[in-house]
Amino acid sequence: MEIKKIMCACGSGLGSSMLVEMNIKDVLKKLGREDVQVFHSVTGDIRLGAADLFVVGRDLAAFIPSDIPEEQHCILTNIVDKKELEAKLREKFGM
Amino acid sequence: MAQEVKTLADMVLRENVQILDGVDTWEEAIRVAVQPLVDGGFVEPRYIDGIIENTHEMGPYYVLCPDLALLHARPEQGVIKQQVALTIVRNPVRFKPEGPDVRVLVTLAAIDADSHIGAMQQLAVLFGDPDNITRLAEAPDADAAYELFVGAPAVE
Repeated sequence: MEIKKIMCACGSGLGSSMLVEMNIKDVLKKLGREDVQVFHSVTGDIRLGAADLFVVGRDLAAFIPSDIPEEQHCILTNIVDKKELEAKLREKFGM
Repeated sequence: MAQEVKTLADMVLRENVQILDGVDTWEEAIRVAVQPLVDGGFVEPRYIDGIIENTHEMGPYYVLCPDLALLHARPEQGVIKQQVALTIVRNPVRFKPEGPDVRVLVTLAAIDADSHIGAMQQLAVLFGDPDNITRLAEAPDADAAYELFVGAPAVE
């Protein structure tokens, strides 16, 4: 599916998720996809339809509800690593 | 947002920076790393319990990468004023049995989801380079750690 909206989530919606949001915006700029909307929130807000792609750290992967298809998951091993993020976003965008 | 963007230098008092030999448990790590913010009147003591409870519930989501934890809970879990503290433990602590080892503990007290974005941008730049985390972990003393930390370049 086309990705127009990305949600980054963490346990409290203001620390790790904000860092990841900033990194995603940098990567999107590099990929020329600044049209994509990015926001951060708490894991409890992750639900089908809230975004097209859900980005979380490995520890929180289990908080993605089971009705959200795998292709909409983006699980980061190291959430400050921009290289990992870029590789995974490129894959999701089919680039 | 009308409020001016705060940089790390605005949000970290020198007395919020400490270096310890080590801690016995991850719970103790959280207690000591949040204590400067309790002492300074930036968070209520229940903020400590909030982070520990969140960890039991969700795991250590604040361990960003090897050697680095960004401890935080939600504003309503006891934040009074926004502020950041830095604690370095010479002997690493683990928040999960399988690791990773963590020596740099940054404690964030945020008043909402966005006001601390200036400081977070600096942290993203600082911690984007693993060498900077090692430099902090091995800083000779708390003064040097403070300088390294607040000296991170601001982002417009």
